[in-house]
Amino acid sequence: MNVERLNGLSIEALYALAEKMALDLPPSLERIFVVEAILEAFEEDNEDRKASGDAAIHIEEKKFSGSELDEIDASLDAAPCIARRYNETVIHCIPRDPEWAFAFWDVKDEDVDALCAAEGFSGFFLRVIRSALHDGKPVMSFEIPVGDEDDHWYIHLPEQDSYYRLDLCMRCGSKSKVIAHSNVIRTPRALLADALDDLESDAAALAALSGLDHLKIQNPPDRHPSRIMGGFDD
Amino acid sequence: METGNIALVLNAHLPFVRQPDYTRFLEERWLFESISETYLPLLRLFAKLEAERVPWRLTLALSPTLVSMLGDALLRDRYTDWLGEQLKLADRELERCAGDPVFHPLAQLYKDLYQQNYDDFTVLHAGNILSALDFYYKKGRLELMTSAATQAFLPIYRAFPESIACQIEAAVVSFRSVFGRSPSGFWTPHLGWYPGLEELLSAYGLQYSVVSTRGAMLGKPTPRQGSYAPVACPNGFTNYIRDVAATESVWSETEGYPADPAYRDFYRDIGFDLPLEYIGPYIEQGQIRTFTGFKYWAITGKGQDKIPYDPDLAAAKAVEHAENFLYNRARQAKKALPHMDRPPLMVAPYDAELFGHWWHEGIQWLEALFRKAQGTSELNFVTLAEYQRQYTENFESVPEFSSWGDGGYAGIWLEKSNDWLYRHSFKLLEYMMELADRFPDESGLRERVLNQAAREVLLSQAADWPFLLRSGKSGSFARKQIEDAVTNFSRIYEMLCANTVGTEWLTKLEKRNNLFPHINYRIFRRKR
Repeated sequence: MNVERLNGLSIEALYALAEKMALDLPPSLERIFVVEAILEAFEEDNEDRKASGDAAIHIEEKKFSGSELDEIDASLDAAPCIARRYNETVIHCIPRDPEWAFAFWDVKDEDVDALCAAEGFSGFFLRVIRSALHDGKPVMSFEIPVGDEDDHWYIHLPEQDSYYRLDLCMRCGSKSKVIAHSNVIRTPRALLADALDDLESDAAALAALSGLDHLKIQNPPDRHPSRIMGGFDD
Repeated sequence: METGNIALVLNAHLPFVRQPDYTRFLEERWLFESISETYLPLLRLFAKLEAERVPWRLTLALSPTLVSMLGDALLRDRYTDWLGEQLKLADRELERCAGDPVFHPLAQLYKDLYQQNYDDFTVLHAGNILSALDFYYKKGRLELMTSAATQAFLPIYRAFPESIACQIEAAVVSFRSVFGRSPSGFWTPHLGWYPGLEELLSAYGLQYSVVSTRGAMLGKPTPRQGSYAPVACPNGFTNYIRDVAATESVWSETEGYPADPAYRDFYRDIGFDLPLEYIGPYIEQGQIRTFTGFKYWAITGKGQDKIPYDPDLAAAKAVEHAENFLYNRARQAKKALPHMDRPPLMVAPYDAELFGHWWHEGIQWLEALFRKAQGTSELNFVTLAEYQRQYTENFESVPEFSSWGDGGYAGIWLEKSNDWLYRHSFKLLEYMMELADRFPDESGLRERVLNQAAREVLLSQAADWPFLLRSGKSGSFARKQIEDAVTNFSRIYEMLCANTVGTEWLTKLEKRNNLFPHINYRIFRRKR
């Protein structure tokens, strides 16, 4: 980030940049304060990235380093040149890690009109359905209310190594109706598949030498220390 | 018998940055810098080791987009022109630093580097780096792997096996057309893996890949030899496992070897330090400051006060770090060996462009590794292919969904700065599958149109775009690449729906995005 470069931008471009950085600046702020706020935000952002300890990714960034434009979006003033949505009724889900998935959806304009006009319509929600197998029976579900304007959501999923599906639903009075089903996703494991105690001593030693502590990988849940202690109590 | 094996695996990749519509384009510098500081110096290292009969083994994954750009005549010409500009700047620097006992020799160092690159590229290799790599590939010293066509982060697209298949098929076909044989190894971009990927990879004759330690150790069942031996999926596909200690010693930005104060500082560059009126002709549009590659300072410390770079001191440090690396791997192997039925294997995968480009002395470090290992019987460098031939039986385990990114999963490529793009890339995929089903057996112009559509789909999937959007570097460039792919595809889709094809526009687009000439759009047909 460079003050000279920021000073070269119009006040409108500075405000656009601030908005893009999720800075909530009061309107008609003096230019010097806008620049200052942007610089501070960049600095904080850089610190956050450094603190993330994500060395492999930081190093990979180096091959893309080029110019002082790196940190300023050169097309600030350009409106996005593609449509934001495709006017279809659909929901997709992508697993992100053992705890989170990303969902995005859309509802066709004519469907929205019809749904919102339905008697007793009170809003949309996501139903998160868990099953033990890919095509298995649901074992639990929960709901997340979403706004009419929402079209994506990060969903916290309570169980690793489980299968989930999302239903985009609408509520009408005391009833609900499914508008679209997502694909089925599986959350990955975050814990070892086999408990170290169950492995032969050589295998357990090699697992330890492979950096389990460094990666903070732990035993499966039935071998958590509290459960083991419980076993001793028995 | 040796105590352990080391497999160095370098992943050479750059996104498709070819921009023929512009006379010069900032992002094309990524390619030119990598050729100058990594690929040509690596080739010089290989030649030197061969000439001096130093045993060496290296596995190099070449991404299909990089292969396409290295084989492109326009980019070859542009690289030669760029070298000419660098040489002019070197001459000016020699003049500017004349009489300075510290900086003049450094300016001379860059003059020599660019002159050597110019001579090697234009005369020795006749502009053909791929052919030079093939020479060592055929000799067996260097193993070449392929990677996903546009380096898509594959786990995100797992709901679309047709898309994964296209990423693999385009890569394998591209590799075969350049090197005359099929690849055995496949580098999964960012070590992005998910259970089930092995079936698609095996279907194309691919035999092995590399996965993160996390992914392997969370595999089912837990690997019995830790990360010290590969694991095999039930279908026989082998996964080599990244070694945490070997990679951390180089990767760690703060404690890894490249952070040593004696090494050349990457950030201090005359493109930013010298007055605009002097440096203007060598930066973008005469006014946008860029890295020029001329860097005169050592890392020194965290502050802005730097001491001048001392190449001899840095070279000695590279040798010291190579010795340290080998010492630590030998110690590690000795600890693991008593628990194993074979010498432990430590797989050290890195980005190739780390060496020489960011870590200026990285190539010297590699050289020192091979030279120092020559004198010991403890450690042996192997390629993954060699190891694969030697050890055909491996413990059966399927790695878990994982990557080498922060957190170990998909968090880098799926977060608030970049999640919007999947709405578009998924839609393109759906449309492409629809087109492939509607037009299953086209030829002539319509086949060309459909193949170009398939290229645009692949370009929209490059993991570089979400990566750049997240990092904030060249974010606008990344966004434009996605928008261009979506716009081009949409136009093709509309043309096909209206049964009219704009031949002139199509030809222009084919010339611009000219990668994967042998692509076959039919791969997107839905599997029934």
